[in-house]
Amino acid sequence: MSETYYQSYGIVVALLIGGVGLVAVAFGAARVVAPRRQLPEKLTTYECGIDPVGEGWSQSQIRYYIYAFLFVIFDVESVFLFPWATTFERLGMQAVVEMGIFVFILALGLLYAYRKKVLEWV
Amino acid sequence: MLSVLGQVSGGPAVAHGKLLFRPIGPELILVGVALAVMLLDAGYPERHHATLALLSLAGLAAAAAYSLSLWSWTGPTTVLGGMVAADRFTVFFRLVILGVAALAVLLSYQYLERADEVRGEYYPLLLFATAGMTLITAAADLIVVFLALEVLSLSLYLLTGFSFRRLASAEASMKYFLLGAFSSAFFLYGIALAYGATGTTNLAGIAHGLTGQVGPLSLALAASGLLAVGFGFKVAAVPFHMWAPDAYQGAPTCVTAFMSAGTKVAAFAAFLRVFDVAFSPLIWDWKPFVWILAALTMVVGSVLAIAQSDVKRMLAYSSVAHAGFILVGVTAASHAGIQAAMFYLAVYPAMILGAFGVVMVVSGRGERGLTLSSYAGLARRSPLVAAVLALLLLSLAGIPPTAGFIAKVAVFTAAIQSGHWPLALVGVLASVVAAFFYLRVIVLMYMQEPVIAGGQREAETGFDAEPGAVGSLGFVAIAVPALLTLIFGVFPGILFGVLKSASIIRF
Amino acid sequence: MSVQEITFVIIAVIGGVSAVRMVTSRNVVHAALYLVVTLAMVGAVYLVVAAEFLAWVQVLIYVGAIVVLLLFSLMLTKAPIGRDTLDNQQRGLAALVGMGVLAGLAFLIQDSFGGSKPITLHQATTEQVGVTLFRGFVWPFEVVSVLLLAALVGAVVIARKDDPAGSRRGPDRRAPLRRGSEATRR
Repeated sequence: MSETYYQSYGIVVALLIGGVGLVAVAFGAARVVAPRRQLPEKLTTYECGIDPVGEGWSQSQIRYYIYAFLFVIFDVESVFLFPWATTFERLGMQAVVEMGIFVFILALGLLYAYRKKVLEWV
Repeated sequence: MLSVLGQVSGGPAVAHGKLLFRPIGPELILVGVALAVMLLDAGYPERHHATLALLSLAGLAAAAAYSLSLWSWTGPTTVLGGMVAADRFTVFFRLVILGVAALAVLLSYQYLERADEVRGEYYPLLLFATAGMTLITAAADLIVVFLALEVLSLSLYLLTGFSFRRLASAEASMKYFLLGAFSSAFFLYGIALAYGATGTTNLAGIAHGLTGQVGPLSLALAASGLLAVGFGFKVAAVPFHMWAPDAYQGAPTCVTAFMSAGTKVAAFAAFLRVFDVAFSPLIWDWKPFVWILAALTMVVGSVLAIAQSDVKRMLAYSSVAHAGFILVGVTAASHAGIQAAMFYLAVYPAMILGAFGVVMVVSGRGERGLTLSSYAGLARRSPLVAAVLALLLLSLAGIPPTAGFIAKVAVFTAAIQSGHWPLALVGVLASVVAAFFYLRVIVLMYMQEPVIAGGQREAETGFDAEPGAVGSLGFVAIAVPALLTLIFGVFPGILFGVLKSASIIRF
Repeated sequence: MSVQEITFVIIAVIGGVSAVRMVTSRNVVHAALYLVVTLAMVGAVYLVVAAEFLAWVQVLIYVGAIVVLLLFSLMLTKAPIGRDTLDNQQRGLAALVGMGVLAGLAFLIQDSFGGSKPITLHQATTEQVGVTLFRGFVWPFEVVSVLLLAALVGAVVIARKDDPAGSRRGPDRRAPLRRGSEATRR
């Protein structure tokens, strides 16, 4: 058991190292070989060729935050769905009812959020 | 250690073949009513404030009636795979918490109406917090303790920041949340170490695992220390009390009343349960730690309250001091100590909820009139409110014939019987010091001139002193605790009779 | 030293370095990105001890949802980015406390597990986690749904979209928490 487990993850690690290594080699080679000339214009923000105006941060809106917040909640719900999906055949009706209650409570919450206009984008 | 996963799956829930749901009925009722209130609020966008409040009250009453029916439970002591306890300890604390919540609903209705901050999310959050509180008193497994603690804390963070228009409320919520999240991390680490030491998170299982242990106990000791830190934060023991004055001051006063009464009862119930059941083999190791905690808390809470001129902050520090007194009962850790702590936990919520209720009533619309000077001459302007506050402050100070006096006597007697007489001495001295700021308010109310009518200061205090300014709901919410304080002060035997069977904590 | 131990040491070093960089960096967004590396390394440690499901849950929830939430809240609150804005000038004391905690934990682990024999790893598959969850831990599982629901209600409280009562009055920014007494030292 353990050998195949570590072997398969060893392949994943090798792939990760390969990926990171490729980027590192590319950028490293550029840093070593490319000529460097520091000019103040090079450090300004790029805005499609026009001179940049104002500062880099714009007024953010709460709708993005609410979106991410709701995502966290339903992500946790989906994490609980994974082990249930692998075992509910074995565990029978009891597990279906338990997961049903869980999803039902969160569905009610979603309905509540919808009625309270939290899910609206504008 | 990693193969324990295989062992746990064959727990008692499978062995019995069916799951017993009656002992968690109150929590199910509370969550169901909270869902109903949520959907009612979402379905009918026009504000039906009274309907929501009435529905919440009905839910609390139903849960209380159900809990009462569990007093004569004859089934197994722990159900649902050893997760939930079904003994009388649980019933007692559930009834106390549900009473606190019902009074808080009355206070909240009046506060939200007057401050013009009626929003439908308040009552579901209040009910979720109550469900968390009742669940934590029923927990028989550290994971359930943690989850109930999180449900209760999350709802309270949101309730503390409910008056979002006031900067103070958002700031209070922020401070409470940051420190609370930090202490939850400590708590969870303690649970992990307890699991590492014994291989289970079940309270009875931990005790069983620790009694036979001959090897090093460092993991279990570290676990008990971290859990004590987590609980210490929740009950605002020194030096984990920093959040309390700011959170109590910034939160809407009805939330402060609920928070100060309910969280202490719930957290102390869990404290007693975890330390007297799970860590009972280590009792001589955690006693000194709780001893120091109790002494520090009593002294620091009493001393710091003297310097306050804002009533809510003063009551916050006094509530810290009372946590110290209850910790004296926990330190005693005998049957008498547990009984004394439970008696204190039954009368303390009445006292502090009544006190914050009076603060809410006197501060009029919103959060004005919170300095001590607003209480000058209150006896002249509204004699009934002043009398109620005087009675509650006397009880908080521990002066006979109030319930606060009996509670302090019980706690100190239990400590002396267990041999901790220096702690009782420190407690008595702290009570004497604390009596100063309680009596100062009484003196202000009865022996100073009220503010000049029509003057600029009157506008500042916000209390109109007209009949009906108190509000009938507000009056009920402060009269009931005052009455209870008097009744339990004169007839403490009622509670002690109940506590004889309710203080059996082991299962 | 076996391959697992070497892997663990490498992962721990990377995780430790990125954690230190996270608390000492001057740019908040850089700190959030170092947090990603730290959390991913924790997930890698779970993989080394054959807790596969837990490792991917860690990556999915922590890196995938919580760090995203953190970055959005940084954007929303327009966190200050610049020199000397992230420090409360307590570096010495903080380093001391950190070292103390590290020493305490190292002593604890050495004292409890120093003399143990090596164990054989038992791979905790998703199936086993599922069986344990739905047989032995049903009630905590349902309580989690209530916790998530409370968080959802919190989202509604934060978003406060429909609030006709509130629209009549603007925010009251006059009064942050008034200290009850100047003489009080916390």
